[in-house]
Amino acid sequence: MSDTDDNLTLTLRVWRQDDSETRGKFADYKISRISPHMSFLEMLDILNEQLIAQGDEPVAFDHDCREGICGTCSLMINGQAHGPDKETTTCQLHMRRFKNGDKIVIEPWRANAFPVVKDLVVDRTALDRIIESGGYVSVNTGQAQDANCLPIPRQDQSSAMDAAACIGCGACVAACKNASAMLFTSAKVSHLAQLPQGDPERPQRVLNMVAQMDAEGFGGCSNTYECEAACPAGVSIEHIARLNREYVKASFCSSATAAEPIQAGE
Amino acid sequence: MNWLTGFLKSSVGRKFVMAFTGLFLCFFLVVHLAGNLMLYVGGEAYNNYAHKLHSNEEFLLIAEVLLFSAFALNIALAVTTTMENLRARKKSYKLVETKRDDRAMPLTSSADYTMMITGMIGLFFLAWHILDFKLEFGWEVLLEGQNSAQKVGIVLTNSTRALIYILGSVAFGIHVSHGLASACQTIGFNHPKYTPTVNIISKIFGWIVAVGFSSFPILAKFYPSLMTF
Repeated sequence: MSDTDDNLTLTLRVWRQDDSETRGKFADYKISRISPHMSFLEMLDILNEQLIAQGDEPVAFDHDCREGICGTCSLMINGQAHGPDKETTTCQLHMRRFKNGDKIVIEPWRANAFPVVKDLVVDRTALDRIIESGGYVSVNTGQAQDANCLPIPRQDQSSAMDAAACIGCGACVAACKNASAMLFTSAKVSHLAQLPQGDPERPQRVLNMVAQMDAEGFGGCSNTYECEAACPAGVSIEHIARLNREYVKASFCSSATAAEPIQAGE
Repeated sequence: MNWLTGFLKSSVGRKFVMAFTGLFLCFFLVVHLAGNLMLYVGGEAYNNYAHKLHSNEEFLLIAEVLLFSAFALNIALAVTTTMENLRARKKSYKLVETKRDDRAMPLTSSADYTMMITGMIGLFFLAWHILDFKLEFGWEVLLEGQNSAQKVGIVLTNSTRALIYILGSVAFGIHVSHGLASACQTIGFNHPKYTPTVNIISKIFGWIVAVGFSSFPILAKFYPSLMTF
């Protein structure tokens, strides 16, 4: 890589923690010759190569597709989930958003339901268990042409698709002052509640998913809407309102009752 | 009845009850303010209103029981959910920065972040308010033989009371400016056609409550002639 004037020298303050049992602490690293065209994760790759060369332990962080669709990357960057850009995941955040000499604080998602595994990696299986409790359809939905045979109003289809855009990264939980998973849970509830394929399990789904969400130790929603602003997939808080409606309707107007929550490790 | 206890124990169910009691209390604020505004019509109008209200004892009893229950539920749920919400993140962030464009910095200046504080200030004011006007505690001599409008004038010209009442009114104004819109969202009333209006109404309602209720102690302090009946 050419060493141009555009390259950045940064100070990183990174959370280091050996495992979920030990206490973590911040460590400061100086990093130079960072191209503004690099992604944030590529910058961390450079940091890790530097640490390995020095014989230090590299920083553990989650990543997979690096194109903003898998929901694996996380990171609280200078107090913002996925960094300063709207509707952008950490892997899609570029170093041109930072200035030479900046100090960047990097923390893991913090919530009791997301215990730190190591450094910046947190255990997000609580979200998997919420999906497992009801975020699916059991009916046979057939082949592609069968979907085309089901008449679905344009608005419902569009809104369901907006909700389905959730990539399950957990930024909503990370950004919420209550560490609430309402936006995540509501995205799946709202997605399936608006489609005929989701209708048979509609009341059961919302009751189970809310019970699971509560059992996982997430906080409640207090409508501060930080989740919506932090969501890299642009999931709207309209879906939270729909979850609220669905929950009241399922509680009072259906014969369904919430199932026992799934335990971790089951 | 497992379903009902399940509903009332769940985070969404509790918020629903909180929203419902909050909306009822907002309705009460409207009625209360409308009643108070009779003072600006004249002492006689206010006295007539107060007399009519107090002469219907059954109505008053039901209203007071409902109000007390709504306040108690709203407060109890606020305390329990706030404690739970604080517990949901034992290890806090070193740095927190909002990604919302419409939020004034710092974060704590926003009404939604200060619901507990404004609620507590409101409750403190409410305790004084009930002591002053309902129980007339400590006012036995001064309020003896006075009519309702005169009582208002006497209590509000007390500087300590004026300060507490202004503080309480502003706290309630800030509280409901988030509370009204938030309650609508919680009961599921979110709609692309109505929600922008609901949010604006909520802000305006906050101003009406803050300015409306604090106008009485302010006028009593600076224009005592207006509040002498």
